[in-house]
Parts: sequence; C-alpha cells; structure tokens
Amino acid sequence: MPGLAPADSAGGGPDSVNGALVPYLPDSHVSAIYPLRHGLNPPISRVSVSWGRGNSLRVSVFRQPDSDGGEVGGKVVELTLGKSRDGEISDTQWRKIAYGSVSPFALLQSRKNSAASLSRMQLSPSPYHLEWWEYVMEYSKDISALLGDPKSVGAPLIEDPNEVFIKKSEEPSSLKAAWELMEMFYVDKLSQAWLPERLVDWLADYDSLISVDLPTVHSKLVEFQSKIVTLQVIEDDPRYWDLISSALAVGWLEIVVKLLRLHGSYRLDQLGRRETENGLVEAVAVLISKMPRMRPAIDAGKHGECFKAKPDFVKAWERWRAQITKLDSSAFWVQCDNRQTREGLKNVLQIMLGNVDVLCSATCHWMELYISHFLYIRPFTAGLESMYSLAQNCIRLKHTSNPHKLMRLMIGILGENNEVVLSECSRGFGTWMVAHAIELLTAGSNEADFLVHEERENLGGISLEELHRLVYAQLLSSHLLTWQIAPIYLTSCMRQGMGMLEILLLKQPVQENQVLLKLHLFVQNLEICRLYELDGVSSRLMEISGMYHWKHGRKGCAVFWLQQAQDEVRLSKIASQLFESVGKSISGESFKQWEGLIELLGSEGQPAGGLDFLHKYRDFKKCLQHADSKKDADAARQAVESLMSLMRNASTPQRFWLPILYDAVKLLSWDKRPLINVSQTNLLLNKLQELSLARLRPDFVEPELPTHALNHVRYSLATNLGRAILEES
Amino acid sequence: MAVIGIPQTQIHRLSQSKYVDSIRWLPSVSPLQQSAIVAFFDTDADSPSLEVHSLDQESKTLDLISSWVPPSRISSLKCTQAFAVASTISGSLHVFSATEAQDPSSAFRSVVAADGKGFHVGRIAGVDLMDGGSNECVSVGEDGRVNLVRVLDGSYRKVFDGNGLVSYTAVKWASPTEFVTGGCGFGLQWWDLRRPGSAVAQFKGNLEKGRTSGIIHSIDVHPSRKHTCLAGGSAGTVFAWDLRYQHQPIILSGTSNDTAAQPLSESEVWEVQYDSYTKSSMNNFSSSKLLPAMFCSEDGILGVIDQGEEPTELLAEPCAINSFDIDRQNPSEVICSLEWESIAIVSRP
Repeated sequence: MPGLAPADSAGGGPDSVNGALVPYLPDSHVSAIYPLRHGLNPPISRVSVSWGRGNSLRVSVFRQPDSDGGEVGGKVVELTLGKSRDGEISDTQWRKIAYGSVSPFALLQSRKNSAASLSRMQLSPSPYHLEWWEYVMEYSKDISALLGDPKSVGAPLIEDPNEVFIKKSEEPSSLKAAWELMEMFYVDKLSQAWLPERLVDWLADYDSLISVDLPTVHSKLVEFQSKIVTLQVIEDDPRYWDLISSALAVGWLEIVVKLLRLHGSYRLDQLGRRETENGLVEAVAVLISKMPRMRPAIDAGKHGECFKAKPDFVKAWERWRAQITKLDSSAFWVQCDNRQTREGLKNVLQIMLGNVDVLCSATCHWMELYISHFLYIRPFTAGLESMYSLAQNCIRLKHTSNPHKLMRLMIGILGENNEVVLSECSRGFGTWMVAHAIELLTAGSNEADFLVHEERENLGGISLEELHRLVYAQLLSSHLLTWQIAPIYLTSCMRQGMGMLEILLLKQPVQENQVLLKLHLFVQNLEICRLYELDGVSSRLMEISGMYHWKHGRKGCAVFWLQQAQDEVRLSKIASQLFESVGKSISGESFKQWEGLIELLGSEGQPAGGLDFLHKYRDFKKCLQHADSKKDADAARQAVESLMSLMRNASTPQRFWLPILYDAVKLLSWDKRPLINVSQTNLLLNKLQELSLARLRPDFVEPELPTHALNHVRYSLATNLGRAILEES
Repeated sequence: MAVIGIPQTQIHRLSQSKYVDSIRWLPSVSPLQQSAIVAFFDTDADSPSLEVHSLDQESKTLDLISSWVPPSRISSLKCTQAFAVASTISGSLHVFSATEAQDPSSAFRSVVAADGKGFHVGRIAGVDLMDGGSNECVSVGEDGRVNLVRVLDGSYRKVFDGNGLVSYTAVKWASPTEFVTGGCGFGLQWWDLRRPGSAVAQFKGNLEKGRTSGIIHSIDVHPSRKHTCLAGGSAGTVFAWDLRYQHQPIILSGTSNDTAAQPLSESEVWEVQYDSYTKSSMNNFSSSKLLPAMFCSEDGILGVIDQGEEPTELLAEPCAINSFDIDRQNPSEVICSLEWESIAIVSRP
C-alpha cells in the first residue's frame, strides 16, 4: 500500500475534508505496456480481466470454443503491475522481517492485555514486576535484531596499516537506523543521561545513509581510503588534514588516531630529522585518545575515558581542556618547520576546544555539525527543547534542500511532534514500520498514547493504531506467504479487525496460479477460522471449495466438502446431476468406481442431500447379485428388504423407480414361493401407477431400458400378487 | 550454561529465500557426507526447483550440489536407498538416481519420467517407492487414479481409475504387492495387486462418534508390521488401522472426548513416520503395542507419540511445519521444512 499517508489526513486539518486516505496524484499519463504470455494459438475469442492478489491482475484468455480439439480452450495468466517496493530492502528480506516480527508483537500484545486486566482488578503490580518500558525495550531489541546487524566485523588477523576505515559486514539499513532512533528517544530510559553519546554512536553507524547526493564525512573517508596507497608523503596532501579534522569533529577518534599515526614523521628514516614534529603529532594523538566521554562504557578498540557521574566528568573535561590549551600555547610549535603539519594540528586543537567556525567547516551535513556540538561544546543532556533549537541552528548553517527521510524523522522526534513522527514513519519506512513503531512511541508518553488510541470520527470510529494495523494486515494479505500472519494483527484491532478478517478470508482466490499445494492455503484458512471461531466463514469456504472441486470433476472431494459445510441445497443439486450419470453406468462392473464415493456418503449423521440413496441402491444391487448367483433364499429376503426400503424412502428419485422394479423382476419371479407379500406388492403397484401418471408430464426422463420393461414389471407384479394372495389365504 | 555430560537436542534453523515444499534426506554415499533433497518454490520468480544440498556437519549449513527445474511445483517427494521420486502438481512423475544426485560431476536429471493425459489429470497427491520392492512407484491423485510406474523404463499401468468420484491424498507401500491409500473422510484403502480391480479392504473413517471428519495427509507402514498402517490427518488426528481388527482403529492423538491427555496439536497433521530412534518403553512391550511415531503439524509442532505415554515435543515453532524426514542411517537426525521459508535440523542426543 504505497503512498498511504493516513496521519496527514487524520490530523483533522483542511485536507481531511475530502476524506481521501490515499492521496491520488494523476501524474502518470504514460501508459505502461505489459506483454501477456498466454501461449495460446489464435484465434482468441474472449479476454476477461479481474483483480488478483495484491497488485496483480488475472487475465483469462479463451479460444474459440469449437476450434480444433487437441488444444486447451483457454488459460488464466497472472500479471504483476508496477514495481512492488523500493530497492533498499528486497521482497525476500521484507518477508523475513514480517515473519520475525510476529512473535515479539504477539508477546507484547499479550503482556499489554494482562497488564490491563491487572490494573482493572486494581491489583498493585508485584515488586518483581518490570516497568512497562522494559517490556517494550525487550520487544524493541527483538525487532532490532531482525533488521540486520551493522556492527563491524572482527579485526582482521593481519592488520593493514593503511586501512583506516573498517568495512561493515553488511550495508546499514535506514529502517534499522530509524528504529534505533525511536528506541533511543522513546523507550530506553537508562540511556537518557547519555543521549548525546548515543547519538554519536548512531551517526558512526549510519553516517553513510543520511545524505544521498551531498558528501558526508563517511563518503569522504571512503574516497580517501582508495587513494591512500598512492600517496607518497601523506601529510602534504591537504585532504589528509581535512579528513582528520572531519573525523575528529564527528567523534571517530580511533580513525583519527590511526590517520595521525600514518604521518610521515613516524617513519624510521625520518625520525631523526623530525623529532619535534613527531612529538607534536603524538601529543595530539594521545590527547585525542584520552578524551573524557560521558557514558557508562565504550567498546573495546574505541578511544576515550568513560565517566558515569557528571561531577567526575566535569572535572576530567576541564583538566583535558586545560591540557589542550597548554599544548596550543606551547613553544614547540615554532620549532616545527613543516607548515602543513603545524596548521593541521592547530586546526585539530581548535576542534577539541570547540571552535564553532572550525567545527562548521570540518563537517558536511547538519547532523554531523550537530553531533560535533555535543562532543566539543555541550557534552551534557539538555531538554529536548534546547536540542531542537540547536538542531534548527545547525540546519540553518548547513541547509539541504532535499532532506533524507531519516533526517525528517529526527526533526519530528526533536520537535516533539508525534503526528509528524507517525507520518514520517509511514511515508519514509512503510506500513510495517508504522504498525510496529507505534509501540515505541507510546512506551513512555501519555500524549502519544492518547494520540494513537483516540477514536476518530473521520476514520470511521477507529484509532490511528488500529488504522495502521489494518493497513499493515492488508499488505500482508496481499502476498500468499505472508497472508496467514495477517489475522494476528487483525485480531488486535478491536473494532474492525474481525470484520476485515472475514472479508479477506472470503475474498481469497480458490486456486492460485501454481501455488495451491497440499490443499494448503485452503486448509490454512479453515485453521484460521477455527482459531478465531468464525464458523460461518468456514462453512462458506468449504462450500466454495466444494463447488470448485465439482466444477473440475473431482466429485468425491466436492461431496466431502459440501458435507462438511452441511450444505443440503448444493448437495441435492449435485445429487440430481450425479444420478444422471449413475443411471447410465451403474450396471455391474463400473459400480466399483462409485464404491469410494458411496463409502464417503456412508458415514452416518452426515447430511447427504438425497445422495444417501446411492448407498441404499448399491446395497440393493449387491444383495440382488448375491441372491441371483447363489439362489439363496436368505439373500433374496435381504434383497426384498432393501428393495422395500428403497421404494418407501422419499429420497429415491423417481427416475430410478422403473429400473429398480425391473431389477426386482428376478425377486418377483422367485421359484419356490413368493417373496413379496400382498401389502408390499400393493405398494409397488401404487408406485408403478404413480410412475405412469408422471410419464405424461413433459419433463419426465425416460430411463434407458428395453421397451417392454414396463409391461414386464406390471405382469410380474400382477403374477406375484396372485401368488401372494394364495400363499396368505 | 548447559550441563556438561548431558547432551541436549540441538536445533538449527536455516533461513531460505524460497518456500520449501518438501524435504527428504538422501541415503549417504559416504559416512562423512550427509545430504538432503529439497523441493523449493520461488514465489517472487514463480519458479520451482528441486535441489540437492550437502549438510556441513560442523556448521550445520547447506551447500548446493546440484539443481533441476521441474515442469511445475513438486507435490510429493520420497527417497529410497537407490532412488528419489518426485511428482508435480501438473501430473508428472520423475525418478532420480540417489547416488548420481549427490555427485556434483554428473548432471542431475530425471532418469525416468511419466506424464501425459493417460497418466494423471491435475495434481499427483502422493507417490511411494519401496526399498527391495518391485521397483515400481505407486502414484495417486485427486483425479482418483492409482498408477504404477516402472522405475526401469518409465512405463506405467493403471491400477484403478476413480474418475474423480474419489480423490486420494496419500499412499504407502506395505509389501511388494500391497499398498495403502488415504483420502477424504479419513478413509483408508488397502490394495493388493494379486486381487486387482478394487481395494481389498476399506476403512470408512468412522473413528469415533461425534468426531468431525477430515482428510488423511500422510501414511506410514513399518516393514516389520505390515498389517498395521499409521495415518495422520485433519484435527490433530493420528491413528493406526490394523487389518486384523478392521473396525477398531487405535487413536493415538487428536481432539477426542475421552482421552485424558491433551493432544499436542489440534490442527492438520501433515506428515507421520515411525520413529526408530525413540525406544518404546519396555515394561509393557508386546507385539500389539504400536511403535513410536513422529508427526508434524500446521500449528508448528514436531512431536513423538508413544502409545500409552505422554507425547513428547521436539520442536514448537511459531509457524507450520510442513514436512519432515528422519535420517534412516542416523535416526537421531531429523530435517523439517517450515512455513516461513526455512529449514530446521533437529539433532537428538
């Protein structure tokens, strides 16, 4: 569902007047042409088009019905329209994310429900209970792990001195970057005290993403890395010093130290001549690696000294600054005769001292400038308000005309504007993000909680949270493999979830192109119905499936599913069709084919819509055969019994009366004594009378019997009546 | 920390980017190699493939050895010592040499194939081949046909044609001349090639009063007890049907009124197999007691049922387990295909 921006229209602004949830932009006047590979030979007589799953069309192509026999009469082709998603995350990866987020989501919802029921019972939560944000944190970590692991790979065994920049094991994704931002600001209460340092880490991971067209420190580093081997005297290159200050400004201390150690004065042949110069470079490198950081811990291999408590940090910070000032005013600078080195190092010291102009020129993007402020000017957490105004200042200095989606999200978060955050999530990162990130947004804020849970008139009485889940569920249901996840999200929607689930279930195509496996999809849908107690829908699905099988000639399956659906009406309809073919083929051998179907009908208590006649008819035939072959009186009596029950039963179709009676002639003319008594014979005669009357009606179907059959039956019945009267008197 | 000395069941989940239709172990050609044959379906490209992968014992990762493109999606897959046989939803059947399939230097292709209008119409629902049997592969379909395909030359003959009046969903050889089929309404049919024309015995699916009917999805017959067949199907049902007591099926699992034990699963049981690894409790051992059986289900359970014991759960996934196979040479190893485009390998201690 691309292009859906519900938060914009839900805000109650002027654009919500027309009530359009999906803004329609008639910008594509270019018609797209999709080739259709149906593989049929012309002439094609008819084409029918309907919507399939998601954004695919089902095109049914038919040939002339009476053209040459050997070929198929038509074909159904599926056609996928447009490109499905943006390229950053492939469909496969999206599905993986969708699968993986089910369990964390379901767990969080069940915890939410049990917490709600606890508070309803007014039980105080037990002292061992976690705070709510801690549950959300657990959820957030689970989801975050799904979105990829941008942590750098372990250090290589043989370290390349020229490799200043360690490659990440996989490309960072902006989805994960956005998720981490939201987690940092809304959920993780523990890191609130060192938020600036977390932002520094965040930028280190995702600097490559924040700008598409303009350079960043990251892109400059990558570029320089490729040239590093070709440089003879590295410190003579202005880009070297430029990069050192840039990397330092955004706090990538280990890269800066590594770069400094590449300085020519470290080379053994140079050491004697450039002692002072080397001393200055080393002094700066040591100062950089000793930078005090206001954070609980730092990864191994990264530079800086950590302080947890503010007073300790302030003391260390001041001492560090004093050392820098002292070095800055030292007399050694005069003795350093390399101008490039002198100026470069001086610049580095200015950055560490927090010179705004130098910081501004060392950074590229406003976010980098912003981070450098936290590192060298204001290392403490301030309120969001002042963070926001600082960000505004940075943007003014480093304006970009086309801000990246991550930056738009960042501004929304800093501006404490929940509506903007929601709409940026949805616009930039899609329906998955917004449906899942709502949990983060509402973790610690009552305002946000109210915003997403308020029931809105213009959304038909549902809340924003429900809207986003419904939209996500629709997206899931548009793909065959994710379809069965959709109910989990739908059932968490109080108002319209179940309704939508019913609609989705009923709209499932019976047979997908090549995909219906193991009756899989259909059975899965029945399973969903069972889980959510949608009995009505499940019988409807069974009816649909039954009719589908019937149309494709699988009569047994059809009968089974219609029986399961208890659909008497359709069963009796297909019964009348079945009887037509039974009438022709039921003699002798071919009856074996019917055996399986009849066994299916045999299970008692199942509705059969008149089909149970087949069962009785088969029994009668069997007894008759038995009696005929063995001349056994007992078997014959049994045959009479089943004959009578057939003729008494109202469900025996009229068209079978004469064939049954004709079969019964053998019983009527039984040698030894009459098997059928007077009253039974009278009943049969009545039936025969009824049949004679029925033959006058225009819709009567004449059974395929010899022409003399009726007279033969009549004569046998009369003879038998006579014999029976004599026997009984 | 795991207690040292007590080995535990190890589970490895291998994420794929394609839907796994079916999975089987292949008989190993060398003691060091373990490989599996997997039927994949790529939903993005709308293309099926049949692939042979070798399993790295250490890292438990799969490496592709060879691959073959079937004419349509694979509907059923079975393996014996010598052959692998696969059927498709468009009604064709393909036989592969099990040793050649694992040899990267030889082309992986079907040695024998059967299809055409006279063979099956539409999906073949089940195939089976027997070790040391008649070298004939039995295939059943929704069209109600039962066919035998000679593995040597691909010629086939019709055993029965139900003309769509019945549909079969599963099949299993019991002896070189006998096999069992299953279908709608929990029906089972026992066929004997020496008495052709129709099934020699039928189970009508009346398991219990008040129990809803369903479909048989899988059948197994143990070589040492050829008169009993094990069947699994809808509503968590696993039962055994003994030819000697045809009217008394033994229900092992399922939603039932009177079994005290809660069944592990209440949804579709997709596959059942006798589990030679689980040792039956010896104290009440008798020939009438059923052997332990493993099953997998739509609600994500892989479990073992031993008659008269509490069922044990090997794996509980958030998604369906669609098929599994127990390695015959090394029965502690079980490989499963999961709904969410992944494969799980369970190594029992």
